[in-house]
Amino acid sequence: MIDWLLFAVLSFFALGGAARVVTSENLVHVVLYLAVTLIATAGVYAQMDAGFLAAIQILLYTGGVITLMLFAVLLARRNGGSVPAEGHTSPLRSLLVAGLVAGLSGYTILRGGAPNRAPEALSTAELGRVLLDPLALPFEALSVLLLAAMIGAIVLARRKDA
Amino acid sequence: MPLAALTILLPLASFAILAVFWPIRHTGRPAAWLSTLTAVASFVIALLVLRDVAPMGAPPELWTMPWLVHGGRVIAEVGFRVDAVSASMLVVVTCVAACVQVYSLGYMSHEPKPALGRYYAWHSLFIVAMAGLVLAPNLLQLVAGWELVGLCSYLLIGFYWAKPSAGKAAVKAVWVTRFADIGLMCGLVLLYVETGGFAWEGFSWANPGASELVAALLFLGVMGKSAQVPLHVWLPDAMEGPTPVSALLHAATMVAAGVFLVVRCWPLFEGAETLLVAMSWIGAITALVAAITASVQTDIKKVLAYSTCSQLGYMVAGLGSGEMLGGYFHLTTHAFFKALLFLGAGSVIHAVHSNEMGEMGGLRKKIPLTAALFAIGTFALAGFPGLSGFFSKDLLLEEVAHGGQWGPLAILLFVAGLTPFYMMRVYCLVFLGEPSEKSNHAHESPLVMLAPMALLAIPAAVLGFGAGSFGELLGHEYHFAVTPVGAAATVAGLLGLGLGYAKFGMGQLASLELPGLAAFVRSGPIDNAWRLCWERGLLPVARNVGWFDRYVVDGLVNFSGWITLEAGDRIRRLQTGSAHDYLYAAALGAVLIAVAGVVGGVLA
Amino acid sequence: MTGPGLDAYLFLAAAMFAIGLFGVLSRRNLLAVIVSVELMANAANINLVAFSRFGVHPWGQALALFALALTVAEVVVGLALVILVSRTHGSLLAGSLRDLKE
Repeated sequence: MIDWLLFAVLSFFALGGAARVVTSENLVHVVLYLAVTLIATAGVYAQMDAGFLAAIQILLYTGGVITLMLFAVLLARRNGGSVPAEGHTSPLRSLLVAGLVAGLSGYTILRGGAPNRAPEALSTAELGRVLLDPLALPFEALSVLLLAAMIGAIVLARRKDA
Repeated sequence: MPLAALTILLPLASFAILAVFWPIRHTGRPAAWLSTLTAVASFVIALLVLRDVAPMGAPPELWTMPWLVHGGRVIAEVGFRVDAVSASMLVVVTCVAACVQVYSLGYMSHEPKPALGRYYAWHSLFIVAMAGLVLAPNLLQLVAGWELVGLCSYLLIGFYWAKPSAGKAAVKAVWVTRFADIGLMCGLVLLYVETGGFAWEGFSWANPGASELVAALLFLGVMGKSAQVPLHVWLPDAMEGPTPVSALLHAATMVAAGVFLVVRCWPLFEGAETLLVAMSWIGAITALVAAITASVQTDIKKVLAYSTCSQLGYMVAGLGSGEMLGGYFHLTTHAFFKALLFLGAGSVIHAVHSNEMGEMGGLRKKIPLTAALFAIGTFALAGFPGLSGFFSKDLLLEEVAHGGQWGPLAILLFVAGLTPFYMMRVYCLVFLGEPSEKSNHAHESPLVMLAPMALLAIPAAVLGFGAGSFGELLGHEYHFAVTPVGAAATVAGLLGLGLGYAKFGMGQLASLELPGLAAFVRSGPIDNAWRLCWERGLLPVARNVGWFDRYVVDGLVNFSGWITLEAGDRIRRLQTGSAHDYLYAAALGAVLIAVAGVVGGVLA
Repeated sequence: MTGPGLDAYLFLAAAMFAIGLFGVLSRRNLLAVIVSVELMANAANINLVAFSRFGVHPWGQALALFALALTVAEVVVGLALVILVSRTHGSLLAGSLRDLKE
């Protein structure tokens, strides 16, 4: 029962944050609400015994990405003060499509007949072994990708006159 | 892997380096040296291989790896097969190739550096292709090599690509040989269908009639490659390439590949009696027609080209006798003395800067070494007693007589007299008589050109004495003996030499004309016949096909183009350029796919 | 009842995904679009971890880790693009960008 309670609280923060992310009119708020959602998601991970992922989520995602985004928001700001998100285009149409997707997903989940039992979770040690043995090549490829992204970002964002 | 593999791998390395690393290729002379060194190394290795090879009949040294594996079944193999036939041919090929590459260091020295590198890259590729052909363990690899040497031939004929005639000659060579290769391909497919493999021995025919058909189809390809009448028309034009190329590809080795194919696949040809008779006749007629044509040419390289045709006809006629030793031995000796003659001609051309024999004359005093070496080649080709050509021709004619084919034999004997005649004509017009204006400025070629010629002159002179051991290697008993046929050929040869000297001995330009026939032969009757076939036969068909193509096929194409344009006009409105619209489209697409999945799941 | 099962987590993820999609589709501001994309990616990650936890395949967590890193890379490049656009166009309005046309 306590699990359900915890889940409900986490879901509330995750979905509530998400809702504010897509509706808030202040860009700084948008990013901060995203942080709320991400931290709540980390809690969800922890509840699923994925402690390592939860830690990564907070450290790297919430810590790194949110900071980065805040920087971007402030850099893109024209004339000081708050940064407006400039509203929505055709919100009804978007709501319709998103609702369609949600409905379809829900239908699929209900029909899925997924296993409801909870076997042993993957331990962090095992996760490390998986990453470095059978998945070593993708792991290394990923580091190359990150490097490429970093260089790409530098090239893109560098001022031509600087 | 057998030692012989190195004869492929070394030039392959050279070719790869020159092909990939263009800065090395563009250095010119270093690139040339690289290629030449690998060619010489290949020659040495080939000699070692020949020394250790077992005589015919012993099991061949085989090294293969599977290729074209389909569903666990090996359809074909690639690799090396070292036996008496391939080892001896390998020596011929690498020897001539090495000599020609060394010679080219001098002959091509005035070429721009990138062109020189390109030239040598293709020469390396040629050795790879030719050795791959010679060492092939099955017909499929042989045909692969066959196509590759054809490619090298195309590239090297068109080496002076800025010259339109060179480009045309290269294309003509490809078209004619390709036309003949249709037969070869059909033969290959039929062989596979009938026997389930590409081997030329070691199986039994389920359908005995097919055996001869396969051999006949393969022989069609041979006719193209080895320039048999009427498919010989490409070979004289191929002289547009540099002279060393003519010596290597279009005299000694590549054109002999056709004859080699027959020798190699001898188990297929041996029993095909009707085909053998046809081969005798085709070979004899080729020998005759080409020899007559050679007698009236004024371009020294054209004479030698027609002479090559003629001698290839000799070989094919010899194989048609049902014995392969004579034809194969003649191939070997011919490779040496004809390469020598071509290199000699190259040396002459190098000296006087002209191909026309009318502009030469009296060169004996100006370039004595070339003259002497050319004389060895001339007399060897003429079948002068004691020189290599004498023995191989004798052996070949003996076999034809033994096969009882009197018609071809008579023609071949006549050609045995005609050959010395036209060669004497060349020798007299070029080296004897009064020097022409151009001859006066002639200089002897450098050592780098003379040395390979001298090396080729040795086998051209004395290889004939090796006929016995050559026969032994191929599992045939052969002892030289004076026979009526041999005597007749010798007399005809001497007669031809004498007649030629009597007629052209003074080297006068006036005596260039052979009365009567000359004008007709020089007009190229066979080329004209092909042209007529082309204009009357193929072009109307092509025109009709063209009409169909233009109005029906193009109509369809144009219609589809119009539809696309119209549709594009309509659909363009969808392209707003706004990122959001695209996102909607993507999301809706995903929804559609999901719906399809769900519906499919429900239905299932 | 022992606690939330696979279904519960999947519903949570689906809801978050739909919200993110709504943001991507409706937001005018490019930065807000990117943030919404993050929501969608996060939802996908929840799915991966949930499947891993409920025994569909133990590699789910590893996959989630990879997806996390990929998302970070995407954010980095995306933000760089946003800054570039804000510099060249003087605004971050996705609606004003019609350069994709011809």
